[in-house]
Amino acid sequence: MRKRPMRKELSFLRSGRVTAGAILVGIVLICALFAPLLAPHDPQEQNLITTLTPPAWSTGGDPTYLLGTDSLGRDVLSRLLYGARVAMTVAVAASLGAMLIGATLAHLAGYFGGKVDWLIGRAVDVWMSFPPVVLSLVLMTGLGAGISSVILAIVLVDWTRFCRVLRAEVLVTRRQDYVAAARLVGFSHWRTLTREILPATMPLLITLFSIEMGIAVIVEAILSFVGMSVGANQSAWGQMIADARQTIYESGWNLVLPMLAIFVTVLGFNLLGDGLRRTLDPRLAQAREL
Amino acid sequence: MIVQVLGLFARRLLVAIPILFVVSALVFVVLRVLPVDPAAMSMPPNATKAEIEMKRQEMGLDRPLPEQYAIWLDKTVKGDLGSSIHFRRAVSSLIAETLPATVELALLAMLIAAALGFAGGLLLFHLRGTWRGEAADLGSTVLMSAPDFLWGLLFILAFGVLWPLLPFTGRLASSFARPVHTGFLLLDTLIEGRPDMFLDVVKHMLLPATALGLAFSVPIMRVLRSSLYEIDHADYIRQARLRGVSEGRILLRHALKNAVLPTLTLMGVQFGFLFGGTLLIEVIYSYPGLGNLMVDAVRNADLPIIQAVALAYAAVVLIINMIVDGLYLVLNPRLRTV
Repeated sequence: MRKRPMRKELSFLRSGRVTAGAILVGIVLICALFAPLLAPHDPQEQNLITTLTPPAWSTGGDPTYLLGTDSLGRDVLSRLLYGARVAMTVAVAASLGAMLIGATLAHLAGYFGGKVDWLIGRAVDVWMSFPPVVLSLVLMTGLGAGISSVILAIVLVDWTRFCRVLRAEVLVTRRQDYVAAARLVGFSHWRTLTREILPATMPLLITLFSIEMGIAVIVEAILSFVGMSVGANQSAWGQMIADARQTIYESGWNLVLPMLAIFVTVLGFNLLGDGLRRTLDPRLAQAREL
Repeated sequence: MIVQVLGLFARRLLVAIPILFVVSALVFVVLRVLPVDPAAMSMPPNATKAEIEMKRQEMGLDRPLPEQYAIWLDKTVKGDLGSSIHFRRAVSSLIAETLPATVELALLAMLIAAALGFAGGLLLFHLRGTWRGEAADLGSTVLMSAPDFLWGLLFILAFGVLWPLLPFTGRLASSFARPVHTGFLLLDTLIEGRPDMFLDVVKHMLLPATALGLAFSVPIMRVLRSSLYEIDHADYIRQARLRGVSEGRILLRHALKNAVLPTLTLMGVQFGFLFGGTLLIEVIYSYPGLGNLMVDAVRNADLPIIQAVALAYAAVVLIINMIVDGLYLVLNPRLRTV
């Protein structure tokens, strides 16, 4: 079968990823930032008379509770909006931390090689022999529940994701002639790393950062699902899922809505990451022109 | 070739053992900074301070940390993993009960992931360059954004609650007496010669294994697709095309064989992650494996279990990596030459 060449008009599907991802992430970010203004109710306000109300559009729905109520009569929409705050806080803070540690170590390992590389490589090996979820549970046990522990746990688990991938990229960049030239001209190691190598690894770094934010959202959901993230006086998506699981036979909506929130957020970050990889990676851009 | 594989195993073991030491030390230190007192937890609430102090001494908690670790390591190497504070049972027997369940689930999930991944990868490659291909590619990004536990919950809602098709709790219907031979229920039911029981076990595993498998099939698809892409430009593929070999035959007989190697490497890494993914899936499906044991232990701050289970996960991941490397050696003739 002969393949039809892709039409020009359809190439937006590729660059469109960045736009679509940015829009999704933007929406969640707005929800998170303006949750107190957007939420129609107090997310903790219980109303034991109106429990498990279905969403407003289905039969038995109440327009004051647009997305219905949970098993304690709390407004699902408000809880989702406040949950976005937790998710985004963790996503941004944890990914920044993981990136900072991972990227620094990757650049040191790839640039200096030798003993430094060996040591960092073995550390990555040890970390990689743990399934991430198991390691974060062990860390959470040590750190105690709470949102700052969640952030710290993700940083301590996921720095390897940056380190592994970036190290290879640094190794390749380091062998470029212009890097050798920079050293010959008399650039210090620090200046070579920050001025010559970092700009080359930046596209990959940005892509990884975007994908890591999606991973952080998932990990936060997992940890709050098992009751190790935020306390009972805050709302997180994973916690909402855990609650809804108890009443799965009475109300499927309570389960589906926080799941949808997680999915949309992660999709946004993944689309953004995937799109950035395609537009920023010169090798891929070249392949597209062929 | 067997010698080479064994040699590889030996070399990998030499690396794996120190890694396990470091892993165990790491877990030990992390758990010792815990604000709770395991001695106080293992005593009845009306115990006096002196009694708790005695228990602390008995458990060795009053000694310096390196000494505690040395004692724990010495016992662990001898196969004594201590006893659970919460369950009041030997940790080793708890792990022996739950580990086969998790391994069984992970293997079935991996099988499903491989089947879906290969089918999807071939499809993505086949549709390359068309609008359908673009759509399928976008579809795979969308699929990738749903983590395994979301699939798990969705399956429960769809095939357990709304359309009750399959069971979604435990490993075996309570009407059956659980056979005890190897701990692997798929095997045990066959040993007993009970196909009805075997079927029930499969039914119980189907939803959790598919949820896991589906989530992990997407990266497999994408890597297979891109390695097929690369190979498509190889001379021997062009040659085949010039000779008039059909596209389907080129794909299945020539390209796939060579594209499979990078995919296999990825699958090895993925299997490690998948094994970790069983943890939450087990919790969601009340599946009595390592994951449920771990989460229970974390909730009860049951340190001996957490320590041992974390180590068990790490050991399994290292073993998986070893097996995959061995398989790689067997399948890739280029690596076999001295």
